[in-house]
Amino acid sequence: MSMTATRMLARDWRGGELGVLVAALILAVAVVSGISAFTTRLQSALEQESHRFLAADRVVRSGFEMPDAWLGEAEARGIASAKTLTFPSMVFAGEENMFLASVKAVTEGYPLRGALTYSEKPFGQVLPGERGPAPGEVWIDSRLFALLDVEVGDSVAVGDADFTVVAAARTEPDQSASFMGYGPRVLMHYDDIAATGVVQPGSRVEFRQLYAGSEGELTNFVEWLEGRLGDNQNLLDVNQGQPGIGSALDRAESFLLLAGSLGVVLAGVAIALAARRFSERHNDYVAIMKSLGATSGSVNRLYGSSLLLLGVVATALGCLAGWGMQAAFFGLFAEQMPVQPGPSGLRPYIIGSATALTCLLCFAWPPLRRLGLASPLRVLRRDMPTEARRTLGDYAIGLTAVTLLMWAYSQNWKLTFAVLAGLAITVVLGLVLALTLLRGGRLVGMSAGSIWRLALAGLQRRGTANALQVVIFAMAIMLLLVLLLVRTSLIDEWQTQLPPDTPNHFMLNIAPEEVQGVDQMLRSQSIASEALYPMIRVRLMSVNDEALERTDDRSQPRRQRESNITWSDTLPAGNELLAGEWWAPDTAEPLVSVEAEYAERLGVTVGDKLGFLIGSEPLEATITSVRSLDWQSFKPNFWLVFPPRALASYPATFMTSFHLGEGDKGFLNSFIRNFPTVTVVEMDVVIEQVRSIVDQVSAAIELVLAVIIAAGSLVLVAGVQASVDARMHESAILRALGARRSLILGGLFIEFAALGLFAGLLATVAAEISVYILQTWVMDMSYSPSPWVWPVGVGAGMALIAGLGVFSCRRVVSSPPVALLREL
Amino acid sequence: MIKAENLLKRVPMAGSELEILKGINLEIKSGESAAIVGASGSGKSTLLGLLAGLDEPSEGRVVIGDTDLSQLDEDGRALFRGKHIGFVFQSFQLLPALTALENVMLPLELNGQPDAREQAEHFLQRVELTDRMTHYPRQMSGGEQQRVAIARAFAARPDILFADEPTGNLDTRTGSHIVEVLFELNREQGATLVLVTHDQGLAELCERRLLLDAGQLVSG
Repeated sequence: MSMTATRMLARDWRGGELGVLVAALILAVAVVSGISAFTTRLQSALEQESHRFLAADRVVRSGFEMPDAWLGEAEARGIASAKTLTFPSMVFAGEENMFLASVKAVTEGYPLRGALTYSEKPFGQVLPGERGPAPGEVWIDSRLFALLDVEVGDSVAVGDADFTVVAAARTEPDQSASFMGYGPRVLMHYDDIAATGVVQPGSRVEFRQLYAGSEGELTNFVEWLEGRLGDNQNLLDVNQGQPGIGSALDRAESFLLLAGSLGVVLAGVAIALAARRFSERHNDYVAIMKSLGATSGSVNRLYGSSLLLLGVVATALGCLAGWGMQAAFFGLFAEQMPVQPGPSGLRPYIIGSATALTCLLCFAWPPLRRLGLASPLRVLRRDMPTEARRTLGDYAIGLTAVTLLMWAYSQNWKLTFAVLAGLAITVVLGLVLALTLLRGGRLVGMSAGSIWRLALAGLQRRGTANALQVVIFAMAIMLLLVLLLVRTSLIDEWQTQLPPDTPNHFMLNIAPEEVQGVDQMLRSQSIASEALYPMIRVRLMSVNDEALERTDDRSQPRRQRESNITWSDTLPAGNELLAGEWWAPDTAEPLVSVEAEYAERLGVTVGDKLGFLIGSEPLEATITSVRSLDWQSFKPNFWLVFPPRALASYPATFMTSFHLGEGDKGFLNSFIRNFPTVTVVEMDVVIEQVRSIVDQVSAAIELVLAVIIAAGSLVLVAGVQASVDARMHESAILRALGARRSLILGGLFIEFAALGLFAGLLATVAAEISVYILQTWVMDMSYSPSPWVWPVGVGAGMALIAGLGVFSCRRVVSSPPVALLREL
Repeated sequence: MIKAENLLKRVPMAGSELEILKGINLEIKSGESAAIVGASGSGKSTLLGLLAGLDEPSEGRVVIGDTDLSQLDEDGRALFRGKHIGFVFQSFQLLPALTALENVMLPLELNGQPDAREQAEHFLQRVELTDRMTHYPRQMSGGEQQRVAIARAFAARPDILFADEPTGNLDTRTGSHIVEVLFELNREQGATLVLVTHDQGLAELCERRLLLDAGQLVSG
């Protein structure tokens, strides 16, 4: 056929036939490629971020010094490396002052990822440091200044060596959030270790070798290294290094994938609707062409190549829009990002193009393919039925495509199922409800005023078409509500998890006689704190009388391990009992409540016996309950809880956590002077990091929501347009017969508003069910019904559909009826 | 020559069948002009559709020249129409998204004629629409649209021209002008002309009149 697809497309474009189809295709590609590129880049940024918590990409840890040859091998492979050594040691200042500190010695390149921070005076302004202390110098923890009564420039001694204090050590990227052996930090140069003479064979020390490089080189190096690692040498990667941002980000990712999947479904529906309307409007076109000699093959070729051309152009534009979307976001938030996100690569755009192809083949092609079957007899008899009616086969293809696209995109069957369940409920309930109500309207409508009669007559005349339309509107509104609900509960949960007064400092090692004083001092400064929890260090020695092995291999689930335990008569706040019962108050029996993960690792449950060593005294306790708790709450949390009287004879220290505003850091100085032996752990930097990431991800979620709302609106526009021709025709006849503008517009408004009402109701029911499934199965969140969604769903449904409907038909009252009748 | 043998057309109607044409036999010679006349609902347009190969009969057959249309499938009939048949319709049937020139070019392009544009321009000139070539159907009057349709029908130089109420949508004066153009071009090309009309005057311009009544040919 010599009439080219380009010319036909150009003609259709001029005729305004392609707008919604093109927009829906562009949107599908933009949503998929944009979100995919966005998550890829965000993941790369977060991976870098998590590497910072390791201060490297890979780390080997051991209680013994490791061969320097490994570092040499790394260097030969182009991998950067560094060494650290951490050990407890007394630090002296003059004759009088000394304190047990946690000393960390680092080589020149440390840290390989992230940065050290320091301040020029204790608790002063935090500054990023290019490198650690030079040989002969130390940075010491802010509170050591008070404990040792020294200032910057003074001298302190570690073992046999003297050092000059040059700064206050504030944070290290790989600073452990665990409290085990947490003493105030002294940071020194690795080369000074020998001079101190404190590290002897058998000392309790931790050597680390740090490596950083490209992923490919690292993988090869790790392969080389793994064969050489001994029993006491553990390789760590990102997964072990990251503190509690994990689940928030997992959920954010689930949300983005959900949003992407919904975007694809919405765009798919819009494409199908637009293609169907396109095909209906082209029936006469094809009939004329066939009467002039076009075969069904040539018609198929013409429309097939047009569609392909359209697909190519829309894919290119969609990829561009998707790229622009994520680039704009990262551009906007570049300054707040802790690390620069890496490139997304081509994959997101390949996924976008594949989506476009699938949408075209499964949603747009079926109605267009049937154009080839259009009867040429329509040139003589326009009342002949069109061939664009959907068959069951089309719906099956569409459903399969939606399912596969959602799965391919989210890689999550549960998520796919939750959305499909919501859609299925919408379709079934929608058809039943809409058909019943639209039929029932006749009885009510007959006695009503003329606008109402007109509207109800309109609703009933197109009963089946309207029922289908209600289902389509409801699907779009439902998907938007699902996203809105999930987004709201996600952001709410994050905000609840990290409220502005989240405890950002911990106090440990509070002696029983200091408890009252500490409490008073916190109160006098109006500092909100958690309860003071007693803490005892214990060592798990046996399970059900079976002695556990003493090993450093942390991958082994059943081994001797040290933990901090507490006592309580009541279940600690924020804990949830999963099995067993809490003990009666004042019991003196040796009972213990175990955290769920701890119990799982040991393979124990209620009724099992655990043997501990507290100091040098053994204690055997029976498990009476298993608890879950939120490790990311930044509140004191314990693996093991005992009844108070069971531990009465053991020496305990106390701990608490509290929130300190940025301007109140000076409090720490006076506090440490009053309670020099109390350990204060500053978590504010970590919490700020978590909060900043959560803020960025929240902003990303809002952006994605806006894009998906655009996709949903497009479905509504396509849905309204699908019925506009018939409504316009009838309204034009009514106008020709003398109907007033207000009657026609009023009738149309009521008709569309009624459709919106049904759709809104239906969408809200289905959305609540979908969200329930999503939150409980997929996102691991607790479900709570949202009453506000009912007025929003129904109100938005009515307003949007009535508004769009009247807007689309506005020409019926602004153009002369004769022009409309001739055109239609 | 067009030959119809025992043409029967039934359509399903609410559980039963309605017989629209009840065994039509006729012959129209090459170059002849024939008018199919009859009351509304007598089956005129149905007969035209069958003779032109736009529809299939329930029984009987239509033979044009050496070609038995009932032996062809829809695609075969489409190719046959493209080569041998032209149409003029009551409602003009121009494609609204195409200009006058593009509408006339369409059948020529479908036939793969390389000089489609020149031919189309020539025929639009013949129907005196040189200055309307780039206009869309909606920008033209009914008479102008029908002249475009006539130009389109003759541009493909068909052997047979079928016209369905060609003046049905036009006023008397415009209608007469259209009829003049139609017959003039038909004479020049020597095509067979078969038209359906209510217009007695138009019917009398044809060499033969075939009168249909309730699906049966009663004279002609």
